[in-house]
Amino acid sequence: MIKNLFTTVFLFSFLLFNSCKNESKPEVSENQQTSKSLVEFATGFDILDHEAYKILSVSQAWPGSKKTFRYALLKEGQKLPDSIEADAILTIPITSIVVTSTTHIPALELLGVEETLKGFPNLDYISSPKTRALIKAEKIEELGQNESINTERAIDLNPDVVVSFGVEGENKSLNSLQRANIPVLYNGDWTETSPLGQAEWIKFFAALYNKEKQADSIFNSIKDNYNSLKKEALKAKKKPTVLSGAMFKDVWYLPKGESWAAQLVADANAEYLYKDTKGTGSLSLSIESVLDKAQNAEFWIAPNAFESYQSLKETNDAYTQFAAFKNKAIYSFAAAKGETGGMLYYELAPSRPDWVLEDLVTIFHPELNSNKASHFFTPLE
Amino acid sequence: MILLFVVNIALGSVLIPLKAIIQIILGDDSVKEAWQYIILDYRIPKALAAIMTGSGLAVAGLMMQTLFKNPLAGPFVLGISSGASLGVAFFILGGSALGLSAFVVPNGWGTILAASLGSFAVLSIVLLVASRVRDAMALLIIGLMFGSLTAAVVSILAYFSPAEELQRYMFWSFGSLGDISWDALIILSFCYFIGMILAFSVTKSLNSLLLGDHYAQTLGVSLQKSRFIILIATSILAGSLTAFVGPIAFVGLAVPHLIRQWFTASNHWTLMPACVLGGAVLMLFCDTLAQMPLFEFSLPINAITSIIGAPVVIWLLIRKKKLLF
Amino acid sequence: MSDFNKILLSSSKLSVGYKNGQEKIIIVEDVNLSLKKGTLTTMVGINGSGKSTLLRTLAGLQNPISGEVLLEKSPIKTLDAEIKAKQLSVVLTGQYISKNLTVLELVALGRQPYTNWLGKLSEEDKVHILNAINATELEALKNTACHALSDGQFQRALIARALAQNTEVILLDEPTTHLDLHHKASIFSLLKTIAHEQQKTILSTSHDIELVLGMSDEMLVIHNGKATQDTPKNLTESGIFEQLFPDNIIGFNKENQRFFIR
Repeated sequence: MIKNLFTTVFLFSFLLFNSCKNESKPEVSENQQTSKSLVEFATGFDILDHEAYKILSVSQAWPGSKKTFRYALLKEGQKLPDSIEADAILTIPITSIVVTSTTHIPALELLGVEETLKGFPNLDYISSPKTRALIKAEKIEELGQNESINTERAIDLNPDVVVSFGVEGENKSLNSLQRANIPVLYNGDWTETSPLGQAEWIKFFAALYNKEKQADSIFNSIKDNYNSLKKEALKAKKKPTVLSGAMFKDVWYLPKGESWAAQLVADANAEYLYKDTKGTGSLSLSIESVLDKAQNAEFWIAPNAFESYQSLKETNDAYTQFAAFKNKAIYSFAAAKGETGGMLYYELAPSRPDWVLEDLVTIFHPELNSNKASHFFTPLE
Repeated sequence: MILLFVVNIALGSVLIPLKAIIQIILGDDSVKEAWQYIILDYRIPKALAAIMTGSGLAVAGLMMQTLFKNPLAGPFVLGISSGASLGVAFFILGGSALGLSAFVVPNGWGTILAASLGSFAVLSIVLLVASRVRDAMALLIIGLMFGSLTAAVVSILAYFSPAEELQRYMFWSFGSLGDISWDALIILSFCYFIGMILAFSVTKSLNSLLLGDHYAQTLGVSLQKSRFIILIATSILAGSLTAFVGPIAFVGLAVPHLIRQWFTASNHWTLMPACVLGGAVLMLFCDTLAQMPLFEFSLPINAITSIIGAPVVIWLLIRKKKLLF
Repeated sequence: MSDFNKILLSSSKLSVGYKNGQEKIIIVEDVNLSLKKGTLTTMVGINGSGKSTLLRTLAGLQNPISGEVLLEKSPIKTLDAEIKAKQLSVVLTGQYISKNLTVLELVALGRQPYTNWLGKLSEEDKVHILNAINATELEALKNTACHALSDGQFQRALIARALAQNTEVILLDEPTTHLDLHHKASIFSLLKTIAHEQQKTILSTSHDIELVLGMSDEMLVIHNGKATQDTPKNLTESGIFEQLFPDNIIGFNKENQRFFIR
């Protein structure tokens, strides 16, 4: 329970960005003959294919990062020209990988390379049944050590690459791995602000396995699904008002107007009551101000980790004052858990925004075909 | 101690057989490369760091206890580790709290530099004050006040920081001997040896100081000079060690007492080397335990040093019924 | 015989006291004393008259308000600490001393100015140490830790330490407070013997004016902020002892050289 709460706060911390987005899409490289993978929505990374080598660049490893990491990907027999500098050099396709965030798992599974996953810190967080089967078969090593990676085990495992979510500052353990000649790549998928942008990070992993074409087609189908759902939603007659979040200690955290979550609500053709707030992180509000503005919101989604009306009531009586509480119109993703308690939503939602959108459209506009099974969101008990 | 050193590098998260370890040390290249790296570049630096940390802090603690004639003094009584903590707090927590962007720092050296700057700042102020204050006791109190002040500033920074930064800061404050590169170790050794040489150069004066400042003066000790050297030696040892491995509690305070009770000695020519050995042994032992060999989690070294050390001190005091100081 | 009457410790227009912020408070002023080689001088005065302050200033442990102290013609301020340590030693009161030391270790510390940087004791050092221990009747206790000594034994140990330091000048502040009459007498008798036989210059404060009257070569009387140095005989004649105590409760009998209660 505490772990989940912490992860909730942790995720909300993810959404703490500064609004300064000074990275526009990277320019085409010097060489006329290069073709780059089309990275349409994601602004945090890019892939430049120079024929003789590929450069995977990550410009937003963490929010507000001023440093762009460049990773050189070389096929068998290729060599990096001396004039090119890179933060890490890899030979692709890789055969073994260590990732550090559950958001990396869906990409691996979609590309069909989950068996190359050799280690992960805090295995219990992983929800996906496919990967859990591998864990049960003891194919994936537990690499968690307190807040970081167990250096000794990771070195012993000797993976081709370690993909870590970027954190500002230093990580002693990752530094040790780099010194041991294990390439470390920073993955900034969680800094993306648009739903499709985050899903597009599947191409980041695809580049490591030479599966760009596969990633393109997977992403395109997600994109098409997403866009058709968006169009569907516009057919709805009403645009309901929506509230999100809940209190942690005495502060109510909810997504800001330009965040990933807010965009999804907008694309589901609903009126997120805080859609006019600027920024992509979280708002911290008092219960009074939320009651004042959102008491009559028709729908309330994602009340942190609460799973029942009873627990909401027991935690704070003020929750019962909301219209959505009285009308039983609260929907949560907290019930969707993996076998060992991991939150499926945190793991899978970033990669499948179309499924999230589908859930939201079904919730907000039941008249538009409500026979779809829910992926993440279920009514609160 | 040699035995403990060997045990320390033999145990860890990954099971490496003793035979392989011997081969690796003898330079045999045929052993699995990952294991070679683990032993030579992870465990041995860690063990050496443990030895330096334990002995350095113990000697620093001994000097502080004699200088201030206070059994509760330790290497951090001047506020050195508070200064280091403040430096690191600014570095880790300052980002969002103060709106500072991450400074361009060579990778991995950020916390070390921040901690060193913090310690150095406190050292400078302490030396400045020491030259103006005659009474050693006043210096002690000033050091304690620094501790409170910096702790307060850190708590303000922490109040405005997001959870993940707080967690990183907290984990730094738990202390960690692992993940230290050879480059870092070499610089640490340099500081360590300078500190130790200074400490040993002042051993004779420490004996005179056992009689108090006035008698020491009449025995030929230059109070200003000795105090200066003691303060600098302590600060270099405590400051550099804190910068590289984080603040390690207890060792500097307890080992001198353990040694005094065990050897019933007052002569610093006995106590100093005994503290070097005792401190190193304690630290190696605690680190071996903290690694929780064969478990995937590990315990913070600070907790282990206190959990092991405190009961030992209590037992010794009860047995002897009297604090020899 | 050339150093007969040689003056080892002297002061010139010395005023002692302490500073209270910017204010200077003088306790004893214009002290012009000279202590000869081979003499035992005792300093007497009522409580609070400034004996300890004067003694500490003479030892160079405290700065004078004005004037200077000369150790064999050199101003004490300019002397290097190590050189001074071989010429002047002290026995003080109220110092925080580590009681973990054995008597032998404590006395051995008196040799610090003479040993090398390792603090190793030479044969000569050991001779001085043992002599000092014998002189203060502490042979039986030499391996006892100081915390196990009685106050009197500890005081003798401190005196032994100063003796081991083997300096020309020894300054003592109330060295016999905790001692019984036998030991009081034997200590002063010892000091007198050492002064005469080893030609040392010894200055000691004392509250036992009657006891030291008969033993001192000279006395230094601190009274009303002034210091008067003279032989016990002359001082008695001068009637200074009658005026010593502030009110009329105590009187002094010149013939017996005894105080009495009126």
